[in-house]
Amino acid sequence: MADPNDLSKRILTISKVLHAPVKTVWEAWTSPDHLMKWWAPKGMAVTIIKHDFKVGGTWKYVMPMPDGSEFVSEGVYSEIVPFKKIVTSADFRPMTEGVVLQVLFEAAGDDTHFTFSVIHPTEEYCRQQEKMGFYNGWGSAFTRLEALVTSGAA
Amino acid sequence: MTTESRRDIFQAIADPTRRKIIDLVSRQPLNLGAIADHFDISRPAVSQQIKILGECGLITIKKEGRETICTIRPNELKKIADWAARYQGLWMDRIDSFEEYVNVLHAKNSKKHGRSK
Repeated sequence: MADPNDLSKRILTISKVLHAPVKTVWEAWTSPDHLMKWWAPKGMAVTIIKHDFKVGGTWKYVMPMPDGSEFVSEGVYSEIVPFKKIVTSADFRPMTEGVVLQVLFEAAGDDTHFTFSVIHPTEEYCRQQEKMGFYNGWGSAFTRLEALVTSGAA
Repeated sequence: MTTESRRDIFQAIADPTRRKIIDLVSRQPLNLGAIADHFDISRPAVSQQIKILGECGLITIKKEGRETICTIRPNELKKIADWAARYQGLWMDRIDSFEEYVNVLHAKNSKKHGRSK
């Protein structure tokens, strides 16, 4: 069984204390009008093709790339707990397919504890990714290797 | 079976056994026997995985007398780490943008509702 807390199953977690009430943070994350203002990297535009914000609903955002291609992000919401939690599948093409995004909101007075994770949730999924030639659960080898490279031993 | 001959670093890390080998030789150069000792699979099977790692350019394989010494090529493995970092960087940037936007939105809301508490 995959333990969702096993860090090796997660590519990334970002936690922040946002200085705004949870209602504002939730709105900024979930409303398409707001979302289109922050989703795309600076200088790029995002088009919201679909944003069906409910469990089982799909979302699809497209960003035109400078070279004429498109960067497509899409997924299906699997869990929505208002002002607390959003879980959605996500495909980013071309880049990473089949990950799960989990966003946690926790009210703390006028602040909001915000935690964003990109998760590879199951062993089965990991095996599938392996077959595709991707790798997740970046091992400790990288940390050591990074040190090696920066020390000029290469 | 088709022989997929296009070897690259991402193929190198696509297999759990190969990842474990990478992990081992990233600590220190090791000979084939020492690597094989860490696995339940046969020595030829380990050898086969090492050969693939060599073809992927992730390790160098050198014969020294009767020993086969495997050494990691850090710069190649770093390419994978860089790839991951780029991916991570994208999310960092996006969440930073989100934070900025939340601040703007919050300021706007506060103004609209007067000095709301």
